[in-house]
Amino acid sequence: MPSKKILIGAAAALMLLAAAYLATGAETGLVSDPASAAAPDTTGCIYPKEYMHSHHMQVLADWKEHAAHEGPDAVMTAPDGRRFQKDLATCLGCHSDNRQFCFSCHTYANVKPNCWNCHISPQDLP
Amino acid sequence: MKKVFLPLIWVALLSCIPYVGVAYFGMSYIFGVVIPYLAALLFIGGFSWRIYDWLSRPVPFCITTTCGQEKSLDWIAHQKLESPATKWQAALRVMTEVLFFRSLFRNTKAELHTGPQLAYASSKWLWMGGLAFHWSLLVIGLRHARFFFMEPPLFIRLVERTDRFFELTLPAFYMTDALVLTAITFLVFRRLRDAKLRIISLQTDFFPLFLIGAIALVGMSMRYVEKVDVMAVKAQMMNLLSFSFAAPVEIGPFFYVHLFLASVLAVYFPFSKLMHAGAIFLSPTRNLANNSREKRHVNPWNKPIKFRTYAEYEDEYREKMKKAGLPVEKD
Repeated sequence: MPSKKILIGAAAALMLLAAAYLATGAETGLVSDPASAAAPDTTGCIYPKEYMHSHHMQVLADWKEHAAHEGPDAVMTAPDGRRFQKDLATCLGCHSDNRQFCFSCHTYANVKPNCWNCHISPQDLP
Repeated sequence: MKKVFLPLIWVALLSCIPYVGVAYFGMSYIFGVVIPYLAALLFIGGFSWRIYDWLSRPVPFCITTTCGQEKSLDWIAHQKLESPATKWQAALRVMTEVLFFRSLFRNTKAELHTGPQLAYASSKWLWMGGLAFHWSLLVIGLRHARFFFMEPPLFIRLVERTDRFFELTLPAFYMTDALVLTAITFLVFRRLRDAKLRIISLQTDFFPLFLIGAIALVGMSMRYVEKVDVMAVKAQMMNLLSFSFAAPVEIGPFFYVHLFLASVLAVYFPFSKLMHAGAIFLSPTRNLANNSREKRHVNPWNKPIKFRTYAEYEDEYREKMKKAGLPVEKD
């Protein structure tokens, strides 16, 4: 009976698709503690604007890794000598002023990063 | 080895042209606006012309290739896909061919062993590699819709989500990226490994593989390594889609390499073996129904034959036949 096999195959494919949808589609997540120890330097961004336009995801990925490995010791020194705690809260210290800061571009470019699966999104802040 | 390295050098040269042009001579308008439009025009024109050319060729005979029982008496099982009897069955057979490479699945290899003994065996590697290559390219093409639509259709978003299922890196890793590179590597080495295949492979077999490989590599490097500003890329692609001739804003030269190589591929497409994409739908051995015992297929350019019936013959010679005492049908 090939039709039975086809049905089983279709069911398996559907489950895989549903799993993919659920695993990658969740845009909201658990709330983590956004509080940071020191008040971040708000005089300017760590890198020039043009660099951050194209490379911010790489910086965030590196920061995530370093923060996970080094904890409070994960501190970066910007090219101009200023020091920043490697923490998403450091970024949001300035950039959560505009609640749409992340989302207006990500929506336009159809990018769906998985930051907010764990971190609280500026859109969800009170 | 000239036929392997020459296409490789060509692809390398083609990648350098836009890089040098944009990075050192500021020719971003030519590579970002003029060439993509020209390439799109040539692609659409060339593709349509090839299809029109093939469609206007007559198909005088029923030459479908089959490998199964054709429709016969009721008590003989008809294999609908192997020997389609109707247009719909033939269409279904073409679609299974296009989507799953059914006939390649039957690929066999012949090996001469000591003895001498000739052995045949099933060989599914080409089928698997080809399937991985083509499906990855399809998924990658669909994924690019995010640059062409403000909001891609749900189906495409679903495909894209499934593709980055593993969420390995921060611009999420796409599995088709790895798949397509693996498949291209396999397809190139398949042609190089076997002496028989090396002999029959031509420059035109290697060039598209290298070109598509280069496009994929540059595209991937833009995503994972040497980043470009995605906002500017999207703005530029939306510009092109709305037929605007506005100058592109500052984007990294890798984007122009990617776009230029894709333009080269589009121009190369209608004039090369890549036209199998359109030709597979038009091959008479595949898309015809095997109904030569049900329907009479007449060659359209057969000259009309002048027949002379016996009645006409008798009309002409009746008197003479009567005189000679021959029997006639009509008096």
